[in-house]
Amino acid sequence: MLADLVQNTLDGLAAGSAYALLAVGFTLIFGVLRRVNLCYGPAIMLGCYAATFVHLSFGAGLLVLALVCVLASVLAGGYVERLCFAPHRKGSGIAAMVASFALWMQLEEVAILALPKHLYPFPALYDGKPIDLAGFTIRVEALVMLGAASVVCAALWWVLYRTRFGIAARAVIDSPLAAELSGISVPRVSMGVFALASAIGGLAGFLVSASFEQVTPMLGMWSTFKGLLAMMLGGLGSLPGAVAGALVLGLVEAHSQWFLGPQLRDLLAFLMLFMLLAIGPRWMTTR
Amino acid sequence: MDFYFGLAQLIGVHTLLGLSAYVVLLTGQVSLAQAGFFAIGAYVAAMLTVLAGWHLVPALGAAALTGATTACAVGFPALRVKGLMLVIATLAFGEGVRLFFFNFDYQIARGDVKVGPLGGEGFRQIRFFPENGWTTLEVMLFIWIFVLLVMALLWWLDRSRYGAVLRAVGEDELAAQSAGINLTAVKVSAITLGGAIAALGGGLYAHYATHIEHLSFGILLATFAIAYPIVGGLASVFGTLAAVLFVQGFLVEGLRDLGDWRNLLFGALIVLAMNLRPRGFLDAGNLRAIKRLFWGGGRGAP
Repeated sequence: MLADLVQNTLDGLAAGSAYALLAVGFTLIFGVLRRVNLCYGPAIMLGCYAATFVHLSFGAGLLVLALVCVLASVLAGGYVERLCFAPHRKGSGIAAMVASFALWMQLEEVAILALPKHLYPFPALYDGKPIDLAGFTIRVEALVMLGAASVVCAALWWVLYRTRFGIAARAVIDSPLAAELSGISVPRVSMGVFALASAIGGLAGFLVSASFEQVTPMLGMWSTFKGLLAMMLGGLGSLPGAVAGALVLGLVEAHSQWFLGPQLRDLLAFLMLFMLLAIGPRWMTTR
Repeated sequence: MDFYFGLAQLIGVHTLLGLSAYVVLLTGQVSLAQAGFFAIGAYVAAMLTVLAGWHLVPALGAAALTGATTACAVGFPALRVKGLMLVIATLAFGEGVRLFFFNFDYQIARGDVKVGPLGGEGFRQIRFFPENGWTTLEVMLFIWIFVLLVMALLWWLDRSRYGAVLRAVGEDELAAQSAGINLTAVKVSAITLGGAIAALGGGLYAHYATHIEHLSFGILLATFAIAYPIVGGLASVFGTLAAVLFVQGFLVEGLRDLGDWRNLLFGALIVLAMNLRPRGFLDAGNLRAIKRLFWGGGRGAP
């Protein structure tokens, strides 16, 4: 019993580190633009499809695939920003959300047109056996993801707190008007943040695809939902919060899957989010 | 001809779905829970006609009532939060409803077949229309009676004091509150009305589709619901109808010949529509222009 609990906790943390990367990207976009980007996941999915395409056509290695995945995600993310968010910088966020939903369908269609089968294999991140530690198994992929999440968070902290771009980005997050008045180009910062977030998302998509060893069109919606859930659980708009929310989401999913089965797992995650938002503490909802 | 009747059925049901989001949007709230209420209506109405042997009309009434009750119960806690938080909270609720029906089994034996909802398999054999010998045309007319009733109701509401209150809250909450309007009551009543309309649409959908499953009620449908009034504009109920005709009639059916390329163009055209007319096809300005065209003279703002 206790052994199961420990094993589930380890699995949960492993899943949580993948969610953490997704949530950090989501939080960056939300922080700067104050918009829900439904097309965040589909842009990542397109990146993974581009990598799969390169892999199938040229048999490229993992490092090249990671690069392709990140680059294609950034391109797709930039496309989304130009079409959905740049025209709606002022005014309501709803029009931008509807537009991002339309692009979601478009990106999904592009992926299906390029690679029409339902499922494609993706090269494995690691071929060997999982590590055995005092009777508990730890997947190497999970350690890589945890490492990647830590490195990305540290790098992001450096970018946000130690570079001019980071200062500008934080100024825009605090007050777009004041930032603009002090000579910061808000559109340029938004575009930069969008590219950064898409790159992080692309890395997350690559790691997830390589550890599941497959890509499907479902990856888009999956990434959007997991990133959104983790971001919200962490209290919206805070990067450490997003990481904490992602780990909590991973843990809750792993344990509820064990006790209630896989079908009720997702239901529980959504109900938890709804309850937190609806009757939870005020600090979670004041942004 | 049956093809066009079928298309008209689809457009009717989606108009109801869009109108349910329209009512909530009038108060300035964005709800992605409409697909959830739609699903509740579909399952309740279908279970009443198939399992309990009710006639469709009372079953639709019960579905609308269930939708309204759920929406009211959800609205009270959910409307504490505003803007994007509400979008996420209602999205979580909608997905919760979908996953509930994904796990929901309730089957009884009818002769030698088992009927009723069966989890991921969905709910098959909702055969009220075929069993009672309704033709496609009759089903279409039946659906459109409800669509016209709801449109007339909302059109009349817009001209009543209640409609003015809804729009006042949507325009400026602070000003509305200072004028003595109870914000919570107004928003909860709007989402309750929206829940009833969505559930009514869901009940009709279940019966003409004859087979429902949880996958049909996901975030895709929820976003469609909100997209109709946004694309069509919030100035009038006809905006939503125009948007459903544009999206389902032109973008989905009209472009069917384009095959795989349809979704590419679909996305591009919606984005174009949003960029050219961020306030929708029918905003206050061109609604006035249309009125002047038909009734002549400028009798002032609507």
